[in-house]
Amino acid sequence: MDYRRPAPGRAQPRPQGPSVGGLFAAWGRWVANCVWWLEHSFERARADGRPEEDTRVRIFLILAVFSAVFACLALGAAHAALFAPRGGSGAGFNANALTRADLVDRNGQLLATNITHYGLYIDPREIWDPASAKAQLRRALPRVSAKRLDRVLGGERRLLVLNGLTPSERSAVHALALGGVSFEPEDRRVYPLGTSAAHLIGRADTGGEGVSGTELAFNQEIRAAGAAGEDFQLSIDLRVQGVVENELAAAAELAKAKGAVAVVADVQTGEILAMASWPTYDANRRNSAPSEALMNRVTSAHYEMGSVFKSFTVAAGIDTGRADMNTLFDASQALQIGRRRITDFHATNKVLTLEEVYLHSSNIGTSRLAVEMGGDVMRDYFRRLGLLDAAPIELKESAAPPKVRKWDDTTLASLSFGYGIMITPIQYVAAYGALVNGGRYVQPTLRKGGRPNAPTHQVVSPETSATMLDLMRRNVTRGSGRFADAPGLRVGGKTGSANKLVNGRYNPAVAVGSFAGVFPADGPVTAKRYTVFVLMDEPGTFPRTGGYVAAPAVGRIADRIAPFLGVQRKADRWSTALGEKIPEFQDVEGDGR
Amino acid sequence: MIAVPIPVKRLFDWKVRGVRCVEIIGVVCVAALVFSVYIAKAAAARESSEISRIESEIRENRQRVRLLRAEATRLEQPARLEALSREIGLGPVDVRRQAVEAGLPAIAPPPAVAPSAPVTAPAAGETLH
Repeated sequence: MDYRRPAPGRAQPRPQGPSVGGLFAAWGRWVANCVWWLEHSFERARADGRPEEDTRVRIFLILAVFSAVFACLALGAAHAALFAPRGGSGAGFNANALTRADLVDRNGQLLATNITHYGLYIDPREIWDPASAKAQLRRALPRVSAKRLDRVLGGERRLLVLNGLTPSERSAVHALALGGVSFEPEDRRVYPLGTSAAHLIGRADTGGEGVSGTELAFNQEIRAAGAAGEDFQLSIDLRVQGVVENELAAAAELAKAKGAVAVVADVQTGEILAMASWPTYDANRRNSAPSEALMNRVTSAHYEMGSVFKSFTVAAGIDTGRADMNTLFDASQALQIGRRRITDFHATNKVLTLEEVYLHSSNIGTSRLAVEMGGDVMRDYFRRLGLLDAAPIELKESAAPPKVRKWDDTTLASLSFGYGIMITPIQYVAAYGALVNGGRYVQPTLRKGGRPNAPTHQVVSPETSATMLDLMRRNVTRGSGRFADAPGLRVGGKTGSANKLVNGRYNPAVAVGSFAGVFPADGPVTAKRYTVFVLMDEPGTFPRTGGYVAAPAVGRIADRIAPFLGVQRKADRWSTALGEKIPEFQDVEGDGR
Repeated sequence: MIAVPIPVKRLFDWKVRGVRCVEIIGVVCVAALVFSVYIAKAAAARESSEISRIESEIRENRQRVRLLRAEATRLEQPARLEALSREIGLGPVDVRRQAVEAGLPAIAPPPAVAPSAPVTAPAAGETLH
């Protein structure tokens, strides 16, 4: 029924031109005519009196058609035979192709790979003696679940018993020579390093998609490299990573810390050479790891860092021209800002030079400097140092810091010595790098060779950067960072200690101790240089300050990784290549010892 | 009738025991072609089965290489290596026992020049990994 017919009495619109139905009818008529003409051609020919000629024409026609078809086929066959792509396996096939490329470090050491595992299938109809088969299987493969095995053996069809058999397990089962047992290959991502670099590498799911860490951050590129049969290189140096992890774990256990973080980075390229978060977990047994071990503290945990921030305040002060090495700061008494009293942890109660402010880590001095510079200047420097935004590293775990809401004097004073702002360690490392590489902010990266044409921006002048390097070196030779010194490596750096906010109060028993080091601190600002950052979260031993819990680890890390990084041991004006102190006002031959 | 040139007509009229020679030649040619194609196909099949055998062998070997590489990496885990070396009393080399190549003569001068020089030169350059 046509329910859309027009109402009676209304004029029906005429279709414009021939309708589709009409066209089909005309075409059908033409075909019928042709058939009719062909059918009756014999009769017509007979009627015209030339029957034999007509037959010949037909034969010739058919011959011509067949010849044409076969000629085409012959040409096609010849073309296929002569110009087909070689290799025999079809175009675009790569024998090395994988779903995900192997992850390797900057020297080609394996970090993550794909291993073919096997699914174990059993067809109970082909099993001769289920009881003995079960006993044998359980002996060869202890981790198989008895319930599952019973269900499959008592069933009717071929079923999966166990997933993810390693090749050695497969050969053990295969050696039983049981009927009805078969294997099906499946690709599995394995992390042969186990606990090493587990946070950094992250993991990929069974479907071959990255879920966390670099596996997620470079997912597309890892898959593309896998399709091309190539390895995917990270900026990590496994030797450095190993040293960093081992020293960090040792230091964290010694300090009885709750958590710990260490990062080694190249300040000129922004490459991360090692990144460790303690406690760690076994990447192949992720499910059994405690949840606090799973977090990558380098990118995801926020800390009020404490005095390590004084480097930023002092650098900003020097860069704006508001302070130089001879500027004096009155730290003889506590600084009063409104109702707040700012005191020094190591009170000196005297007038300090900028160097002394930095070396004695004077809160009063940096607070005065910050308040003098004002909120806009400080905010500008902090923004350019990347302290107000998530670190632009590729890892998706890189967390944005909580927003700093106020920029009044009391906040500025807090910010100047690293309170009132929580940032992630990787943000700190990137910002610290900008102070010691000639003043450029380089985005931290896990890509070997650095990010291709990533934008960098100038934060402080190269002169400021040189001054900061000098200050940091002085701090290690004479100030709070003495334990970070490594013989002949010219380590510079700044200690940091902060109390944590517990229930709205800063609790001195719950602290964060950190040390941001750089080596070698001498030479031109654009020279090869590495930062080593170590942070201890809630150390349980006393003293809890960074100079005691973190600085020694930095010194040991620098000492052990220097040969891998090609840093030569040399003397500078503070100590010899073997780490002996050179007295400040030495004799001609330095015999004053 | 179509006019046929004389030589062509003679070729077609040349018969042996009532069979046209042209046809015999044609049949022989076709037989030769069929046979050669068969030979070529058989050879190609043999080649391709050989190729696929070698390819599967390569694949298998590659699997084993991957497996061994992963196994080697597992055994070389930094934490494991360090624990093992600490167990047998190895540790980072002290800076006073490290030297660069250029400094070797200063540490151990050639015996002819200075017979009283210490014989055991500390092994140098390497630190514990």
